[in-house]
Amino acid sequence: MSILDAQHDLPAFRQEIRKWLAEVVPPDWKARMARASNEEHIAFQRWWMGERSKVGLAIPHWPKEYGGGGLTQRHLIAIADEIARADAPQNRLFTISLIHMPGTLLPHGNEVQKRRYLAGVAKGEVWCQGFSEPNSGSDLASLRTKAVRDGDHYVINGQKIWSSNSMYADHCLLLTRTDPNVQKHRGITYFIMDMRSPGVEVRPIRQANGRAEFGELFLTDVRIPAENMIGAENNGWRVAQATLASERGVISFEGGERQRYEIEAFYRKSLSAGAAWLRDAQLHREFVSFLAEMQAARRLLRRVLEESETPQASASVLPSIVKLSSTVLRQRICSFMVRIGGVDGQAFALLAEEPFGSPMFDFLSAFSGTIAGGTNEIQRNIVAERGLGMPRV
Amino acid sequence: METASTLDRATLDALQESIAGVLAEQCDSTELHAFIDGKNALDKTLWAQAGQLGWLGLGIPEQFGGLGMGAEGLAILHGELGRQSSPGPYIATFSAAQTIVETGGQEICQTWLPRLASGDISGAVPAILDERGLTRSGARVSGTLRCLGAADAAFVLAPTDDGWVIVDMAQAVVTVAPMWDRTRDVIDVHLKAATPVGILPDAAATRAALTRAMALAVAADSAGAARSITERTIAYMKTREQFGQPIAGFQALKHRAADLTTKLAVADEMVRHAVQRTVTNEPDAELWTLLAKSEVTEACVFVTTDCVQLHGGVGFTWDFDPHIFLKRARLNEVLIMANTALRDQAAAALAAITTSGRSALELEL
Repeated sequence: MSILDAQHDLPAFRQEIRKWLAEVVPPDWKARMARASNEEHIAFQRWWMGERSKVGLAIPHWPKEYGGGGLTQRHLIAIADEIARADAPQNRLFTISLIHMPGTLLPHGNEVQKRRYLAGVAKGEVWCQGFSEPNSGSDLASLRTKAVRDGDHYVINGQKIWSSNSMYADHCLLLTRTDPNVQKHRGITYFIMDMRSPGVEVRPIRQANGRAEFGELFLTDVRIPAENMIGAENNGWRVAQATLASERGVISFEGGERQRYEIEAFYRKSLSAGAAWLRDAQLHREFVSFLAEMQAARRLLRRVLEESETPQASASVLPSIVKLSSTVLRQRICSFMVRIGGVDGQAFALLAEEPFGSPMFDFLSAFSGTIAGGTNEIQRNIVAERGLGMPRV
Repeated sequence: METASTLDRATLDALQESIAGVLAEQCDSTELHAFIDGKNALDKTLWAQAGQLGWLGLGIPEQFGGLGMGAEGLAILHGELGRQSSPGPYIATFSAAQTIVETGGQEICQTWLPRLASGDISGAVPAILDERGLTRSGARVSGTLRCLGAADAAFVLAPTDDGWVIVDMAQAVVTVAPMWDRTRDVIDVHLKAATPVGILPDAAATRAALTRAMALAVAADSAGAARSITERTIAYMKTREQFGQPIAGFQALKHRAADLTTKLAVADEMVRHAVQRTVTNEPDAELWTLLAKSEVTEACVFVTTDCVQLHGGVGFTWDFDPHIFLKRARLNEVLIMANTALRDQAAAALAAITTSGRSALELEL
């Protein structure tokens, strides 16, 4: 059965998703995953991707010619909303596979690449991103990982960092330096790298929240076939803009909706338990202020989605504004939970997912929002320079 | 998804553009400064023009001589008035009118709304909606109320210990209370055994309606004012040079400008959300209206304060714009009720909605 059969009737489509979620999502998945090891969590996410694949919900938003469902943005929003409402698992292992890879290949890949790689995702292929380097973070264009042409191959040497789930990845979206003698943005080339190539070594990085979602890539004489280049040689910076732009959209929307259900469940529980913080007028005021900001953030996320289908989207700084407002709000909400959580809220708990379950874990994890995907400082530069026309000096 | 009672976007955009155009011309910085220094009667000329253009009837139903554009139309008008820090008794008059529409009854509506819609008269309302009111003795009311409204307002809408009343100002002694915010009129209305010309018996509903109308008005005004002074400040930063470059090029200042811009985007959405929930008459409309006022007025105080600072020395002068907006922001902040009290009411509303098994967080996709 494919839920996609119901796509022409949006309410029925939603009903089908809701029914499927009720059947397939194990009610205890969160409790189980809360204490799961990395490996168990990865296996669980692969299982979940398999289930989505069975009903046509693995890559519903891709063009039909590449194995997708060809669904509209409205359908994607409905899917994201239903998944958030059901508190179904996230698909973070596949974030790059589902968002960044197609966001890059669809506009810039050649036909062979699209046919080869897009189809692989529904079968469970995991992608990672090799962009940042130890000395090229916010200044990404200064990257130094070298690619040197050798016959019909390129030979890669260098180091990449902050590469989510690279320990489990099959392929990597890789940015390299092919010409060190030109202005830094002009000498970058974009490749697809097979993570099983000889010379690729991955070391996990342990984060402040105790988990290890990132890896560091050490690349020593890795040979990549020239046919794996995306776009032209030295044109990689332009291609990379498509990768970065793909982050805006449905993925943040789902996050915003999840937070709504989480915070609502937290509040209901507080009410029925007569939680102490409700009797503190100042905390109570702070909480309703969060809700006002959360509604505003959810509305802004909807505007980003509306805008993403218009020609103005590529020049808009609204995604940066949304990132600034929603990630800082998330951090403040998590901080609030730590403050009302007392000593118990800081009891060590290593979680695979982020509900408002362990306040300190959630609080620590919230930094991924303000730092990843271009730090909030970089977003401020974007808003000021591109949005407000303040001069770059 | 647009609901049936929501006006279409193009109509609202056209309205906004026309209001903005008129105000940019009639109420620019030069005119505004001259008004503040008592050199013109900008409040009166703007009011007359607003009457001719139909703005004063924007929120009033068509059957009473208005344009029937409700909370959506009013939010746009208040936003634009805030943008230019326009002087005049708009918040008081429009809020009184909206309250009369909701709880005034047919006779009161027919008596007052057409004259309000045409701009023949303006109204006054209490600046603070706490439990204090006029004392009622038989058919007569007495007491003093600090109100928002022009010295020549035709009536005051006021609470008594038993329902709300409309009193003709002919029966009142009015003294003007000069404010730091010279773009607003605050008056003290003294009544001694005055006979009300109208009674709105449902005190709770009337108070709620006035609170909602004023909250939306003040929030929209604050959002517009904050956006405008931010734009003016960024424009100034692009021309002001120090260390051989425009100060807009310094990253420390860029980041502040970006944060202000983010605050503005959030404030606008808070206003839109409250307006939308009000227009479609949702059970959570009150909650979001109270929060829009408390959040957005505080955001406006933050923004206007930072805009004074970002201007440097000239930001502290009478001749530049920031202090005008800062003063307007500070008055907006304290109108209706202290924001802490509004948040307490919002918390109570949230608990009531949640306990009844509903969600206060619904949003159209």
